[in-house]
Amino acid sequence: MKKLNIFSSPLLYLLFFVTIIQINACTKDFKSINTDKNTIATIGPAELPFLFSKALSAAPHDMYNYQVAQNLFADQYAQYFACEATYFPSDRLVIRQDWVGAAFDPMYTDVMPQLQSIFANTDSTSAEYAMASIWWVYTFHRVTDYWGPIPYFQAGKVSTPSVPYDPQDQIYNDFFKRLATAVAVLNQHQGENHFGSYDLIYGGDVDHWIKFANSLRLRLAIRISKVDPARAKTEGEAAYAGGVMTLSAPITDPTANPGGDDALVNRSTKGNDGNGLSIMSDWNEFRMSASMASVLNGYNDPRVKEYFLPAVNTNQYQGLRNGLSVNQLTQPANNYNNNSHVGKRWSSTNVTDINGNVTGSATSLSTRQNIMCSAEVYFLRAEGAMLGWNMGGTPQTLYNQGITASMNQWGITDPTAINNYINSTATPIAPGDYLNSPPMTNIPVKFDPSNPAVQLEQIMTQKWLALYPDGQEAWADYRRSRVLKLYPVVNSDNPDITNTTTQWIRRIPFLLSEYQTNGAEVNKAVNLLGGPDKVTTPLWWDKN
Amino acid sequence: MRKFSFILCFLFTLLLSYSLYAQTRTVKGKVIDSEKKPISGASILIKGKTQGTAADAEGNFTLKVPEGRVQLEISSVGYLKREVNLRPDESEVTIEMRSDSSQLKDVVVTALGITRQAKTLVYATQNVKVSELTGVRASDNVLNSLQGKIANAVINQGSGGPGSGARIVLRGNRSIQGDNNALIVVDGVPIENNTYSAAGGTFGSIQGSDGASNINPDDIESVTVLRGASAAALYGSQAGNGVIVITTKKGSKDKLSVNVNSGAVFESAFALPKVQNTYGQGNNNQYVDSLFGDSWGAKMTGQTYTNFLGQTQKYAPQSTNIKDFFRTGLGLNNSISVSGGNSKAQTYLSYTNNSIQGIIPKNVLLRHTITLRVTNQISSKFSTDAKITYINQDIKNKPRTGEENSPVIDIFQIPRNISLAEAQQYQSISNVGVPNPNPWPSTLNSIYQNPYWMINNSALNETRDRVMGFLSAKYQITPWLSVTGRANLDRSMDKLTEQYAQGTLLWANQAGGYFSQTNIVTTQKWFDAIFDGSNKITENFKANYHFGAIYQDNKFDLMQGIANGLNVTNKFSLNYATNPALYQTGTEVQTQAVFAQANFSYKDAIYLDASIRNDWDSRLPAPYAYQYYSVGASALISDLVNLPDYISFLKASLNYAEVGNGGQFGLLTSTYSYSQGAGNGFLSRSTTLPIPGLKPEIVKNTEAGIEARFNKNKWGFTFTYYKSNSFNQLLQIGLPTSTGYARQYINAGNIQNQGIEVVLNATAMHSKNFNWDVALNFALNRNKVISLSPELKTVYFGDSRAATMQIQEGGRYGDLIGFKWLKDSKGRYEVNADGTPLTSYQTGDPQAYIGNFNPNETVGLTNTFRYKDFSLRVLVDGRIGGVIVDGTEMNLAFSGIPAATAKYREGGWSLGGVDANGNAVTTTINAQQFWQTASGKRYGVGDFFAYDATSFRVRELSLGYDIPLKNNLFIKAARLSAVARNLFWLYRGESLLSIPGLGKRKMTFDPDMSLGNGNYQGITYGTLPATRSIGVNLQLTF
Repeated sequence: MKKLNIFSSPLLYLLFFVTIIQINACTKDFKSINTDKNTIATIGPAELPFLFSKALSAAPHDMYNYQVAQNLFADQYAQYFACEATYFPSDRLVIRQDWVGAAFDPMYTDVMPQLQSIFANTDSTSAEYAMASIWWVYTFHRVTDYWGPIPYFQAGKVSTPSVPYDPQDQIYNDFFKRLATAVAVLNQHQGENHFGSYDLIYGGDVDHWIKFANSLRLRLAIRISKVDPARAKTEGEAAYAGGVMTLSAPITDPTANPGGDDALVNRSTKGNDGNGLSIMSDWNEFRMSASMASVLNGYNDPRVKEYFLPAVNTNQYQGLRNGLSVNQLTQPANNYNNNSHVGKRWSSTNVTDINGNVTGSATSLSTRQNIMCSAEVYFLRAEGAMLGWNMGGTPQTLYNQGITASMNQWGITDPTAINNYINSTATPIAPGDYLNSPPMTNIPVKFDPSNPAVQLEQIMTQKWLALYPDGQEAWADYRRSRVLKLYPVVNSDNPDITNTTTQWIRRIPFLLSEYQTNGAEVNKAVNLLGGPDKVTTPLWWDKN
Repeated sequence: MRKFSFILCFLFTLLLSYSLYAQTRTVKGKVIDSEKKPISGASILIKGKTQGTAADAEGNFTLKVPEGRVQLEISSVGYLKREVNLRPDESEVTIEMRSDSSQLKDVVVTALGITRQAKTLVYATQNVKVSELTGVRASDNVLNSLQGKIANAVINQGSGGPGSGARIVLRGNRSIQGDNNALIVVDGVPIENNTYSAAGGTFGSIQGSDGASNINPDDIESVTVLRGASAAALYGSQAGNGVIVITTKKGSKDKLSVNVNSGAVFESAFALPKVQNTYGQGNNNQYVDSLFGDSWGAKMTGQTYTNFLGQTQKYAPQSTNIKDFFRTGLGLNNSISVSGGNSKAQTYLSYTNNSIQGIIPKNVLLRHTITLRVTNQISSKFSTDAKITYINQDIKNKPRTGEENSPVIDIFQIPRNISLAEAQQYQSISNVGVPNPNPWPSTLNSIYQNPYWMINNSALNETRDRVMGFLSAKYQITPWLSVTGRANLDRSMDKLTEQYAQGTLLWANQAGGYFSQTNIVTTQKWFDAIFDGSNKITENFKANYHFGAIYQDNKFDLMQGIANGLNVTNKFSLNYATNPALYQTGTEVQTQAVFAQANFSYKDAIYLDASIRNDWDSRLPAPYAYQYYSVGASALISDLVNLPDYISFLKASLNYAEVGNGGQFGLLTSTYSYSQGAGNGFLSRSTTLPIPGLKPEIVKNTEAGIEARFNKNKWGFTFTYYKSNSFNQLLQIGLPTSTGYARQYINAGNIQNQGIEVVLNATAMHSKNFNWDVALNFALNRNKVISLSPELKTVYFGDSRAATMQIQEGGRYGDLIGFKWLKDSKGRYEVNADGTPLTSYQTGDPQAYIGNFNPNETVGLTNTFRYKDFSLRVLVDGRIGGVIVDGTEMNLAFSGIPAATAKYREGGWSLGGVDANGNAVTTTINAQQFWQTASGKRYGVGDFFAYDATSFRVRELSLGYDIPLKNNLFIKAARLSAVARNLFWLYRGESLLSIPGLGKRKMTFDPDMSLGNGNYQGITYGTLPATRSIGVNLQLTF
């Protein structure tokens, strides 16, 4: 018994035991245990192309962001589509901040870090750096054109939860500098291929990126043509001189690169990389707008078959007005089966006509998404020519070329048909909608020989038709020019817009989430805005 | 001398017996406990005499007694002494012993499976009678059977049909983004209790099953609930949420017994929306066309019309077209167990078969559970215990929960004039054998489909193979010190498949259909070594202590193959994938711990308890370690002071405890992950900023309690007050995305729960043939979010369609905010010029407070009556307070389906409201205008659909009959019982708003059913209806 005595104190036992364990606690594997084996910890040259692909895919909105980032806002404001869903108030101009954040947040989290990693890991004279820089401009011009001042110069550089907003003119200044620099760099790499198949737009073709960069520069130049005409002319002429997109090849297979200069980004059925317009087309929450119906039907426009499907019940191209109330939306005339679904390339095989025939396409999710096309560039040049810029043509020739490019792009190549359209004196018609709306406007396709005001409206109307379905650019262009004669929305539930004929949506208010997480800087940004943080306050380039 | 006395004694006895034995008789008897189990070794004496005997292992005895009336005295340790009168003609007697409640909870299984005497504990525990879990069983999850029986437990049943994960929250919610579920411990080791894809919003999910649903109630020996953190401190991690300690059965010594338990239960939908049956499909009081799904049409008077299938039909009410969609499910439970052994080795073997049909057609669960347990006493010092359980569970055709094309929301949308016979014509088969959906009058044909299509042309299956086993060995080092080592392995292999035939809305968005298979392997390894000692330091001062070390490693591996688009239509295999996609993820968490716990007693009346634990956690930054501790004291006042006679027992206790939790896997560094897409796929940086300085969460818990029993233990209560504060919570907060990150984790916050619990047990009446026991539990919990963080003042949950769950500094956990019907400064309802309600949804005002989903108080009352061989147990339980927003009703109200929408169809409804200037608006409206303002269908004004969730119901009822059996029969005991769950409501709350002209509406949903078992609670939306079950149960012992 004696020998057990030393152990008879439990405390001693405890001390002994704890000491042993303390020494032996085996934590040397903890770091590796706590590492996710299915992810990558550090980025090197092999990873950069994948980052570039991600940036290209995310900037025009991921599959599930597309609706809340673009379709419920810009696409409706541009009146490509009208809302069918009683539960979405955005067509009545109510800003659902929790939705529209999808046009802001992913740009900073899914595009910016990727591009900044490329900047950090490549030489500034490399083609990769330049291509990333061009994409940076594409990404952020869409953000600033929604909100105005945005976090820009300090974005992604600070880890403290506070990032200052920058004024839109300085941001545009940086856009022009970046594009000019990128083109200068890429000119040193002409004929080369960089990023190869990881470039989801041009397959790595540097020459096309030069045209895209110059075309984008021209778009931005026209954008500032009212607020800074001199700078606009300089940038616009330099852009044209550097070589812009001119060739539209017919989209025969909406999932394949058509060739030509048009910038369309590949989409895929894999992952969440599908075409956003396609995924939401099954949900029956939007249909053709009365504006599109009035113009496309009035012009007997051959593109209507590409843009929309005939309404299930009537077999007609039928649209409804933007901003209908809940009660109006429940009227049978406004039912989605009585209005036109988005075109076949964006509609899945679940979309059928009244006889049950499939009218959609089996590959709708991988339909390539428009980034910027040659037709738009012709219309930019036509407008530039009207402003007296050297755009290599008269407004009329460029206008006609723009129509031709757009027709070609959507697969309409018959010269007679195109020619008939260009010379048509038909005008938009009453869309025959529930409210018996009048025609949207009274201008024909045929270019007016004398009246600059009519000419400009013709250019802007055809540009609007050509930009379809990119409502984000169409809305920006509408706000900038205010020439296109869209219908006033039927009802505004936004208390800041009480008269829908004299007031319109001119920007998206700063995000509630930004007020919550970056409050001090947002409050400063309101001063940069030059007006209250409302939908009615014009952006810097909006001089209407 | 000794011899002499012996002889004398013998003679005396002989004399005595002779004098009596001139007329003696033999009495055969059996001593049993209140659960009809034999009490071996009970002593039986003839009162006033020295003659007596002891009952054998089966509780049987034979005793010669004098003729005439005799009184027997029966006693056994742990039971109250009984006296039984025998009539002169009685020769057989069964004596039921009542537990001595002062000793009833004598031994309690506490943390790590350590058994301790109840009176030495410094914290509250509660035992649940096993018979109450196996008698009336919730067919799918043992946790649901605990409903109403545990003070301060809020149990929610998941919405995914049989086998759904359940949510059990003890003493309120304390974790914002972590887990609030109580820890489930089986045989001393926490089991994996994760649920995949619990719904986090009204869009819903495929609710997975949890670990607890794999526990076989028939194998359970005891259930103890450790509500407080103090009781659970030794478990670390999730023990801050309290622990359900389950101990399973072992083999019995020196006898062989076979138990058979068979039950059949019929389940039917219990709480369904109340619908109108006056108006059929259509709009503005008119029939529109056969595909118009809303029920705002004409009065149904049997008019003839052409339905959506082109058939001529009567436009007549189909009042049961929702109710009849749900079938009566049959749940079968069959288990057999064999238990036996000798003093050296004991074996327990059981097999259980569960076959449960859900109330959704085709939804079936089939489960086999096999358990083998072997206990060995190898030497006087060395013993071993080993157990292995294998579970095979197959769930077919799980229903989706929530909104997105799930059968429940789909059937609720059925127009009031469409019969199920018409609905069953849901498809046409093409000439190549592919089913195509027939037209269907949907209220929104992009997400609501004919439910029969969903049931027959989609399948969500889940298969689980789970092996749990342990080996433990105990060595008695000295008489006062032993060591136990234990190795425990728990591995689940789950296979989840989803298949959607081509044409299934939302899910089959590629040609050919959709198929995916997910394989998940979850592995837990647990090793521990625990020293258990006790020393008598002086006569009055004793110490009892445990110390040891634990190693735990949990791994989760997921592999998923997706075929979105099938090259051969509706061939549901990855082989046919048009675009095969693969996905893999995994986590691993390892913790190592040392702990010590000691209990000192003075005069067996004053106890001091302390524990300390050190954890090393792989989720934390180096040096990975953190500590926490508990201290407590209790005093048996009844043993220390002279109290009045009617107080039989009085104990007071007080304790303080901390529990830590290591956080989450992989938060310390930034990562880039690959995803599939165009080209060669993408790399994306994680949008969550890493938290290299991660700290453990700490729950600090104070508890004080009184336990008292009166009138010779006839009744007693425990009263507990507690307060817990959760600090350093791991919170995800939003960052300005312009930093490049959308969110970051921080350690912050202080969430407080305090409340009281009362558990009352009493014998209301007791006589030879009749016994009435009452058990009551009552609890209230008050939650307060004292602080979140300087950067973060509010956390939101879910989508904001019907309501949003909000956690805000200064508010309470579970606050619900929603859009409101606006009132002016004088409290009058505001209306638009057209007479419809003016809501904050229209004005764009933010959502505002509606209520909090947590009950203020919870009550459970069990009455058990026994008359001779019959016993009746009735459990009534309820919740007081709490608000739940009925998103289902919101959705249906837009389409004119709920009963409340029938009034004012023709107009003439004045809400008596005022306009913005305070002037009365007299414009009248109709029901459609009103309800379509209140609800935009999928998004609406939650205010109109908020309900006071106060409710009481008859939760369980069981009527049992112990079939009297002759002793020599092969069958030793037989019990037949009729059982029922969710019998009927005693009280149901009403809508919060009293709508002018309509008043308040009664709640039609069951607040215990929830969309999922995660932290998103308080909002219904296409939630599976609760079930009422009625059945029979037969227990046989051989």
